[in-house]
Amino acid sequence: MSSLETAYTFDAVPIEPVARGTTLIVTGPSLEGLREMLMSALVAQPTEGTLVVTADVDAPTAAEAYSSAGGDDSPGRLRMVDCSPESETTATEYVRPIADPADLTGIGMELSDLYEGFYADGCEHVRTGFYTLAPLLLYAEDVRSVFRFVHTVAGRVRSADGLCVCALDPDTQDERTVSSVTHVFDGKIELRRGEDGAQIRVLGLPNQPDGWLSYDPLSPSK
Amino acid sequence: MPSELTVICADGDDADRAATARALSDAGMRVQSVATVAAVRSGIDPDVDCVVTGFDFPDGDAYDVVNAVRDANPDLAVVVFSDASATDLPRPNQGGLVVEYLSKTMPDATERLVALVSQATTPNYQIAYPVPGDEDERIEALRRYDVEDSDAVGAFERLTKLVASHFDIDVAFVGLLDEHEERFVACEGANWETLAREDTICTHTILEESTMVVENVREDPRFAANDRLAELDIRSYAGVRLTTPEGHAIGALCCIDDEPREYSDAEIRDLELFGEEANEQLRLRRRLDDSVGSSG
Repeated sequence: MSSLETAYTFDAVPIEPVARGTTLIVTGPSLEGLREMLMSALVAQPTEGTLVVTADVDAPTAAEAYSSAGGDDSPGRLRMVDCSPESETTATEYVRPIADPADLTGIGMELSDLYEGFYADGCEHVRTGFYTLAPLLLYAEDVRSVFRFVHTVAGRVRSADGLCVCALDPDTQDERTVSSVTHVFDGKIELRRGEDGAQIRVLGLPNQPDGWLSYDPLSPSK
Repeated sequence: MPSELTVICADGDDADRAATARALSDAGMRVQSVATVAAVRSGIDPDVDCVVTGFDFPDGDAYDVVNAVRDANPDLAVVVFSDASATDLPRPNQGGLVVEYLSKTMPDATERLVALVSQATTPNYQIAYPVPGDEDERIEALRRYDVEDSDAVGAFERLTKLVASHFDIDVAFVGLLDEHEERFVACEGANWETLAREDTICTHTILEESTMVVENVREDPRFAANDRLAELDIRSYAGVRLTTPEGHAIGALCCIDDEPREYSDAEIRDLELFGEEANEQLRLRRRLDDSVGSSG
């Protein structure tokens, strides 16, 4: 079995494959391509599924971003929990609206249900993404419930050999909270604006390139 | 391993409860079947690894079960196993009751439940606080220290008395962070013995190398909603990590006051010096214990 069969690969983000069961947080300014990078990291290979919790934009907008990144957004391949404020998304088998981003109980149960649905459909490897964690942190009555929520998702992903990628613009949150939340994840990808455009670097994961790398969020491939 | 797990199986419906309990038992788990929220509350003990619950009970619902579990053991995972869809289940009044969920209508639902319970009992699965990347090694390192004997406690009591006096604060303590709770080895100015990890500031202190200062707990989003800190009159905090020679953070030496308080650079340096003294005491305990172990 090749290493690529035991890892998640990325066609449009310049990082090496990561082991199944890995959880990542992607931090950086939204205006520098945070959403584009998250969606690129979530683009599924033919045998995989993608599950997105969208809290900043509604489900149709998130699906469009996923499609633009090269993902197959057809029903069933892409499944979503839409907890964006003022969303008018209608519930379907594969898209579950949650009226309030503070409702971590509902978001978590719908996420579990959609994840189990992938198993039931014979798909064992799921890429799960959050765009972004900011509303969950902002609206939560107690940040400890967000820690519990993220740990639960991370635990499921680790046990199920999945991949979890959460986006967060650190400028939207208290830096102490961002620092603490980062510890829940196995690794971190930082996005910043460099002199010649966007750059990324990977922290905390083995076998990844060192230092800052140029990154073009509009490029569909390396 | 499933054969080592003890699971509370709670369901208000007799037939559903029996079927779920049978599935878990057939997988080699020890199962305690209960029919009420009250029975869940009285059944939680340190041997329980996970709680599987239906939704409806004669004395409440699954969210009451979650609250009962979290009151007794905040780190214990709860799986809601219901024939109602996630979309149709009523939502709790509180938004933060995070659980695992599995629909009984899923194909191979009982097999998936066994798998889900197994994964929900992995370390840190449903905890409400961050842990350091070296958590397993840190806990293992902590087990090598014996600070419960009177000599060690006396040394830490003298140190915390000195710290409280030096900074003119209400409380000074040395706390060690076990797997699920902080254990106060010495506590000048209060009678605290243990505190759940999710309620402690020290859980965050051990994440960073620098000394942690929280000038006003109510204005820090990590702690502002923490009722336990308010109950204990913890309004300001400064804590320095206590580490093993290998660098694992096993606890903290801390200053507490019931008013917002700033710490100058000089005061932080003083606290770090006190912390070095506490570290020396800890290392002495380990060296003595290692030598006792090797000679005995």
